[in-house]
Amino acid sequence: MRENPGAAAPPPLPLMPAPHLGVRLSTKRMTWMVSLGLFPAAAWGVFLFGLPAMGVLAVSIGTAALAELAVTLPSRRFTLADGSAFLTGGIVGLLMPAGVPLYVPAAASAFAILVIKQSFGGLGRNWMNPAMGGIVFALLSWPAPLSRWMTPRGGALQDAVLTPLDALRAALAGPGAKEGSPLAILSSAGYSFSGMDTSVVGWVNSHLLAPLGTSLQPGSFDVLVGHVAGGIGSISAPLLALGAWYLISRGVIRWHLPVFYVGSFLVLAAIFGGLGSGRGWLAGGPVFHLLSGNLVLGAFYAAPDPVTSPLTNKGKCMFGIGLGVLTFLLRYYGSLGDGVAASIVLGNCAAPLLDRWAARRGTVESAS
Amino acid sequence: MTHPTKLPRGGVDPPTEILVSRDAVIANAIIPSRALIPLLQHSGKAAICLVKPGDRVKEGMLIGKADGSRSANVHASIPGIVSEVRELRLPQGEVCTAVAIDLGGEFETSGKPRARREWQGLSRPDLLDRIRTAGVVGLGGSSIPTHLKLAVPPGSSSPMLVANAVGSEPSMSADDALLREKAPEIVEGLRVCHALLRPARTVIALGENSEELVPELERILRQSGMKAEVTVLPSRYPHGHEQLVLAALQGKPPGTGTAATVLNVATLFAVFEAVLLEKPLVERVLTVTGSIVRQPRNLKARFGTDIRDLLEECGGLTSEPGKIVVGGPMRGVSVDSLSVPVTKGTSGIVAFGIADARPGAELPCIRCGNCIEACPWDLVPTRLYKLIRMGDPAAAEREGLSRCTECGCCAYACPSRIPLVAVLRDGKRSLLSDRKGTPDA
Amino acid sequence: MTTARLNPPAVLFLGLCPAIAVSVRVNDALWMSAGVILVLVLSNLGMRLLSRENGPGESSNTPGWAGGNAGLLQALVITSLLTACFEAALLVRVPLASASLGIYAPLIAVNCLVLSHGGPGPARGIGASVTSALGRGIGFAAALVLIALVREVLGSGTVTLFPMGGFAGTIEIRPLVDQPVRALGFAGGGLLCLGYLAGAARAIAARTEARRTRGETSP
Repeated sequence: MRENPGAAAPPPLPLMPAPHLGVRLSTKRMTWMVSLGLFPAAAWGVFLFGLPAMGVLAVSIGTAALAELAVTLPSRRFTLADGSAFLTGGIVGLLMPAGVPLYVPAAASAFAILVIKQSFGGLGRNWMNPAMGGIVFALLSWPAPLSRWMTPRGGALQDAVLTPLDALRAALAGPGAKEGSPLAILSSAGYSFSGMDTSVVGWVNSHLLAPLGTSLQPGSFDVLVGHVAGGIGSISAPLLALGAWYLISRGVIRWHLPVFYVGSFLVLAAIFGGLGSGRGWLAGGPVFHLLSGNLVLGAFYAAPDPVTSPLTNKGKCMFGIGLGVLTFLLRYYGSLGDGVAASIVLGNCAAPLLDRWAARRGTVESAS
Repeated sequence: MTHPTKLPRGGVDPPTEILVSRDAVIANAIIPSRALIPLLQHSGKAAICLVKPGDRVKEGMLIGKADGSRSANVHASIPGIVSEVRELRLPQGEVCTAVAIDLGGEFETSGKPRARREWQGLSRPDLLDRIRTAGVVGLGGSSIPTHLKLAVPPGSSSPMLVANAVGSEPSMSADDALLREKAPEIVEGLRVCHALLRPARTVIALGENSEELVPELERILRQSGMKAEVTVLPSRYPHGHEQLVLAALQGKPPGTGTAATVLNVATLFAVFEAVLLEKPLVERVLTVTGSIVRQPRNLKARFGTDIRDLLEECGGLTSEPGKIVVGGPMRGVSVDSLSVPVTKGTSGIVAFGIADARPGAELPCIRCGNCIEACPWDLVPTRLYKLIRMGDPAAAEREGLSRCTECGCCAYACPSRIPLVAVLRDGKRSLLSDRKGTPDA
Repeated sequence: MTTARLNPPAVLFLGLCPAIAVSVRVNDALWMSAGVILVLVLSNLGMRLLSRENGPGESSNTPGWAGGNAGLLQALVITSLLTACFEAALLVRVPLASASLGIYAPLIAVNCLVLSHGGPGPARGIGASVTSALGRGIGFAAALVLIALVREVLGSGTVTLFPMGGFAGTIEIRPLVDQPVRALGFAGGGLLCLGYLAGAARAIAARTEARRTRGETSP
């Protein structure tokens, strides 16, 4: 060893445990990427509903951040950087009506962070999805403000309209005609769609579909694009799907849970959905239900929250099926709005059981 | 040539490119002017020191005698004079005696061709004796004295013999290079083992990267007259592990198939040298690589060489090192200085720059399940981790902790950067110390 | 603090049903508490008087009533009797309160039986027994009324007390009464409040315990 007698010994190199390589996608990056995936839908919602939507989002995210700081700063931790409080606040805000009084998203966010997440020990320790718990809390506490939805594009806060889903429910409960697909029922009940919808659907029907002998229902364009009353983020299924495709292709979310959730819901809706309203089998209107309400947002962004969903892929598939069944039951036969938040919360209670059932082969089950 | 279809699950694919060019030949590292040779380079008891300061030693001379059966001989890798005999802390943490030799005198055997000795007529004990005398140990990571692995009770035979060239760790290309350059010798070493074990089935297992060697290998096997299959397995870490190679070959879950003898190709080369050339084990091929190494290479280095000298031979480091690892990037041990001697168990040296050295802040477990997908042994690392952290390693043991081979796949896959391997290892250690504390256990 | 160890809903998680039902409004909680305190004190008094007749020297590790099954039967009878009397009195004098307590009034007996456990033994005087019962009853009342206060203020925006003179009995808190946090009025919300109170009780108990052991071990 050639050592310089006069030189000082070089500082020791750091000692670290094996392995010395790590996967590039860290938890922090994954959480911020989910928020990024929500961005297109959020931007569209703000574009449609204007400043009130911006205010709701700001309040929900801000309250979530403040709540997180209030709990973690006294113990000298700074957890906002991991992005989970931001994401929870974002999801809560995106499920709210644009014109909702600001104390509702504030309370929902605060409840989500303080009670559902931090009371159990913070990130990784909660058993219920924080955003969904906050939404259920808000639905139970303030049902009236949460059913006043704004018309998009220039609607004023006072013009509360029904979302397509609520309007369909009202129409099915009423005396009017109940034939055909959900959009047909809405049309005959007098639900109004936008002028752009009329022109686009008319053009498509006359130029593309008339030779084929079929036609699109009026309202198809509006519902697809998201130009309807509804939650700020939940109206636009295609933009949410875009974000979800980004997340699944990067490995942030695994496809098992959302695909089985949406799939089982669609199958049940198609086969049994018409039964409750007396329209018989196979008359459920699955595509309409896929595009309405919080299903896509819940299935691709909220339910796959790794902390509260099962560990194994098999468990995730079973969880997805369970959620699909619950959402179907709650939406078609229940009365608490959309059914997605409540079914995710109920499903979270069953997730540890699924972990046990779907344990890997070769693992010895402990007696506990 | 066969491609097994029922492959073990799990494993990870770290995107580390093989930095050493596949065409580069193995270079002989410069003989060090001073060699510090530890007397514990194998698994088992350390060798007994036979020299004292001032003694003149020749190249290949026995300086450490095996202490009992679970031990191995240690030889001088350079000629010269013993300058000191002192305690040395090895990277894994054990302390052993080490002999420092200052280079001097003639190289009596290096550079001169050795005549091949006859071995077919030798009895089993004599063959094992040649292997034992040469101090051959497993060079693929286990460091088990090879004469123990090859010893079967007289009259019986081992069911299967496997030459493992699948590749142990990402970026470590030494075995592949050795197979490319010394295939006939390796097959000859395999023939020796075949004669010792008389297995029912002999297999040479290659990784996908070495698939082009198959025709050459099959030709050599035909010439040698030994009946052996050549199999190609996917190069996924850690599927070069002994248990997983067997699982792929036998089509059964890891650890449940019939027992077999698996030997690394470098070990087989050492067996060849020990039996046919009667040459003691004084050097090995290792891979020096890393993003900050100027010219990553495969070098044949004498034991006792400082890794600092090897790094210099590779053109030195292009920037300040953040971490130096002895071994491979997944299982290697990080060292705190460059004054670490090469031993029989040193498969490589990886140098990390300051940017790549630290894994990032540790976050709580988010139950993502990546570790479960990555574990090739069907364990649930997140659960074991939580049980050990809660102070209940016995429960972790019931859930399979002892099957963990510390391959590092779980920690690699963890997005929260939890040091799973370190925690699992602590759990195993605390179980061991609990057992030692209760004498009737 | 014995209440910190024995409070049925908040610590032992017993008698949750009446606790949740009754703590929706403050005046219901007050009536329930009044019943518990009254029955607790009188039943303890009664059992001490009766056990004196059984003779001193009755050792038991559950003082408060005489040991063994006979003592338990004795306690059940006395407590149930007193609870029935309280219910009847309420029905006659304050029918509104009786109606709002409804089927949860008899469960005063359950709470009293649990709270009687572990009081001072026959060795100490009647005065000690009565004071202890009073203390526990007040502690229970404090917990119940606290939960009711939180639940009613946040869950309905009002505080319902007793009408006195010109005061109608209900205080309304302006912004909250229009859109209160209704979730707290439901059973789930009640359990949430109960959970936090239980957590606070345990934290306080742990802290006093730590302070006591620190005080004992410090030189």
